[in-house]
Amino acid sequence: MLNKKKRAPRRSTASKAAQRMVMGGLPQEEEEVLQSPLQMVVRSFIHDKIAVTGLTLFVVIFLCCVILPFFFPIDLYYQDVTQANVAPGFNMLSVPSKLANNAEQLSVGSTFSVGLDKDGNVYEWGTFPTDKLKNIPSNEETGKLTMISAGLDHVVAVNENGQIFTWGNNRMGLESVPMELRTGGNKIKQIAAGYQISLALTEDGEMYNWGSQYLVNITYPEGVQGNIDKFATSTNIVMALTKDGEVVPLTNKSSAYTNIPEEIQGNVVDLALTDESAAAVTSDGKVYTWGNNIKKTMNVPEEIQGQVASISGGRYHYTAILNDGTLYSWGDNTHGQASAPSVGEKISEVDAGYYANYAISESGKVTSWGLKGYLMGTDAFGRDVFRRLLVGGRMTMTVGAIAVIISSIIGIMIGGISGYKGGKVDNLLMRLAEIVSSIPFLPFCIILSSILGNSISETQRIILIMCILGLLSWPGIARLVRGSVLAEREQEFVTAARALGVKEFGIIFRHILPNIVTVIIVNATLDFATCMLTESSLSFIGFGVNEPNATWGNMLTGAQNGQVIENYWWRWVFPASVLGICTISINCIGDGLRDAIDPKSKER
Amino acid sequence: MGKGRYLLKRLIYIVFVFFIISILMFAIYKCMPGDPVDIMLGDSKTSMKPDAYQALYDQTYQRLGLDKPMPVQYLSWMGNMLTGNFGYSTQYKKEVIQIISSPMTNTILLNLFTMFVVFLISIPLGIVTAVRKNGVFDKVVQVVTIVGYSIPSFIIALLAIFTFAVKIPIFPISGLKTAGMDAGGVQGALDMAWHMVLPVLVMSVSGIGGITRYVRASMIDVLRMDYIKTDRAKGLREKTVIYIHAFRNALIPVVTITTWWIIGLFGGSIVIESVFLIPGLGKMLIDSLMQRDFAVVLTMQMFYVVLSLAGNVLMDIAYTLVDPRVRLEN
Repeated sequence: MLNKKKRAPRRSTASKAAQRMVMGGLPQEEEEVLQSPLQMVVRSFIHDKIAVTGLTLFVVIFLCCVILPFFFPIDLYYQDVTQANVAPGFNMLSVPSKLANNAEQLSVGSTFSVGLDKDGNVYEWGTFPTDKLKNIPSNEETGKLTMISAGLDHVVAVNENGQIFTWGNNRMGLESVPMELRTGGNKIKQIAAGYQISLALTEDGEMYNWGSQYLVNITYPEGVQGNIDKFATSTNIVMALTKDGEVVPLTNKSSAYTNIPEEIQGNVVDLALTDESAAAVTSDGKVYTWGNNIKKTMNVPEEIQGQVASISGGRYHYTAILNDGTLYSWGDNTHGQASAPSVGEKISEVDAGYYANYAISESGKVTSWGLKGYLMGTDAFGRDVFRRLLVGGRMTMTVGAIAVIISSIIGIMIGGISGYKGGKVDNLLMRLAEIVSSIPFLPFCIILSSILGNSISETQRIILIMCILGLLSWPGIARLVRGSVLAEREQEFVTAARALGVKEFGIIFRHILPNIVTVIIVNATLDFATCMLTESSLSFIGFGVNEPNATWGNMLTGAQNGQVIENYWWRWVFPASVLGICTISINCIGDGLRDAIDPKSKER
Repeated sequence: MGKGRYLLKRLIYIVFVFFIISILMFAIYKCMPGDPVDIMLGDSKTSMKPDAYQALYDQTYQRLGLDKPMPVQYLSWMGNMLTGNFGYSTQYKKEVIQIISSPMTNTILLNLFTMFVVFLISIPLGIVTAVRKNGVFDKVVQVVTIVGYSIPSFIIALLAIFTFAVKIPIFPISGLKTAGMDAGGVQGALDMAWHMVLPVLVMSVSGIGGITRYVRASMIDVLRMDYIKTDRAKGLREKTVIYIHAFRNALIPVVTITTWWIIGLFGGSIVIESVFLIPGLGKMLIDSLMQRDFAVVLTMQMFYVVLSLAGNVLMDIAYTLVDPRVRLEN
């Protein structure tokens, strides 16, 4: 009530400024009294705790969605089955302290890592795709292990006697280690656990492979068996380096991998593979790459040419040890896997795999860099939920905001004209509004987006969704504006404007509209929440924004069955809570604004 | 103007609206991808000789009246729609009219249960919170209801499935029937009711949130009126004042909101049906859109339009019942 008494007669800010210029500023006390309606609204809004909390939450979420994607870029088309359904956490690179200064060998698996210390003890850390990985054979059983390798979801290890052990996923023939490797006696030179496949190489140059042949089909060209020095594997292919320094793809299909540069044959000392390309180090320390240059894996830095000693490849990056024992990485750097740290000591061994690297220095100290884990886990296609949440939020808010802008413009135009003109025009426009609001909203959206959205691109489809939402939700605003205009048009300033000969259009939109703008803002805020809800419902059932574009709605589409809800909670809890918090806070802001603008409604 | 004339006028108006919307739907029908004749003839294109097929094609084309001008086509289409001749479903290989009865029953039952639950809870809750305005109970209900109507129903559905079907498995996750159960009568009905608990619960949440707030707001407005003071001054019992005198007047704005809510409820049940895999109209609509079975799609759309208009008529009737002052002024 006190506020009301203080309230000065309506006066525009411009006139106030003019007055201040003439009078040279008003005393402080006077300033308090002269409170514009907008100031009053702001004042009573910031006293509303719920509304301010809502505003803060919303602003935080909004800023996160706008700013953070620059720091966490995302490739929407990126998918990686090896990273599917990873639980949230950052323990992928947390090397156990016992191992950290006493490491013999480390190996990067899909989302977990294994390591051997100098006494032959096995360590495992990270997020395990299957619980079977925890069944590490006991020391008595294995004896002293000398080599270890981690794959997608299984581990292969060798002991001093050349006996091979495997644990983890035991399907697809991964368990059936060839008999001669099980009994031992062979000198094993190299082992690798790959994508549903295991490989082993003896000192005699004989290679063995077991596991699924479905993804990586291995055929040995003639004369290669018995002459193999090293091999490298990726999810697509296995390639061997013969003792004569030649690179041989172990496949009979030709692909980008098999276009091996002729000039290096016979001169190769090390070989590494990523998912898209291959790299070889020649005896003069140069790196040659071939394959597809996706994610910059083939952009070998010029400054290291001629100094490379050995090389190792992850999924989309390479790491090389130079002759002076320093490290160098290049390729995809989404998770920091291509930012090799400088270690004070000389590096003796490096293992790059998937998205991480481990380097062991001569004293046995371990350095790691690359993917530590996912803040909010990954979805069924191995996409980072957190990054999708950010771009999804941007999409959801953009669609909601543009839909509200469209509906507000139409609503203001129709409501304004209808309210000011009255009579037949009013009747006609209001009947139109009634017809539009009689159209069943959700079914109509679904049908329109499915029929029209069939033949257009994804971007056009998103625009279509915005337009459908905007075109169907204007009647509410139109009615509101009409009501307010009806009330305002009887005011004296309208009569004055009319007497001055201001055109009708000008009266409605330049003289009446500023007086009802607060009402429109409140309604637009509440509509924004509704549009976001509708968009996410549409996307949720698959008729809104489609994959690979992310929105909070379609991120939840995959979480519709009990199994996902139970086992992969991170896939629905995060998008659901952010969407929920966002709509709740927008509604709180809207309510708070309404209370602030119309003190009468506060008494309710 | 009497109530009868008012209603009649509204009815005529709604029929007019229906025709406007039906023109819109006819436009959608015409926009639908695929040649209707090809769809109708189905496999015969591959099995028949090209000449014979062309002849059959032309014959069907004429039989369907596609050679006639648009207005004539519209009228015959409308006639078919109004007489229940909705066309042939390519997905179910049956006339549409034969396949929609069971999903329609399911959807209507689901929505009726929801309405029942919502009204049972939200109206008393709204009244109580209005009477005890600004008390602790009122404050709590205010917060809960704003959360209730802000959160999208599918998120509530996920939460409900997580809590009541996965963590504490007392209700089934999806469907309307226990697999393999073929019991009729009481047992079948109980089984269906058991399956409907979660969907109804989920759909009720946002309704309760919204309607409670409306009932409360309009009750508070009414309780401030002078005639309530008069009632109290007369020494009427507080219950009589609130439930007879105040509530009836508070109902008027609630009726409008309730109508829109009910129409939205049927639309919203599309989402819930697809989450809970309930064989209702919404799921049928989505399946048909996926299968490009447009006869069914259009029938569903017609159902929603008719429902929406029927809602409008009901709203008008309800107005005349609760508010004797109603007149169509302009």
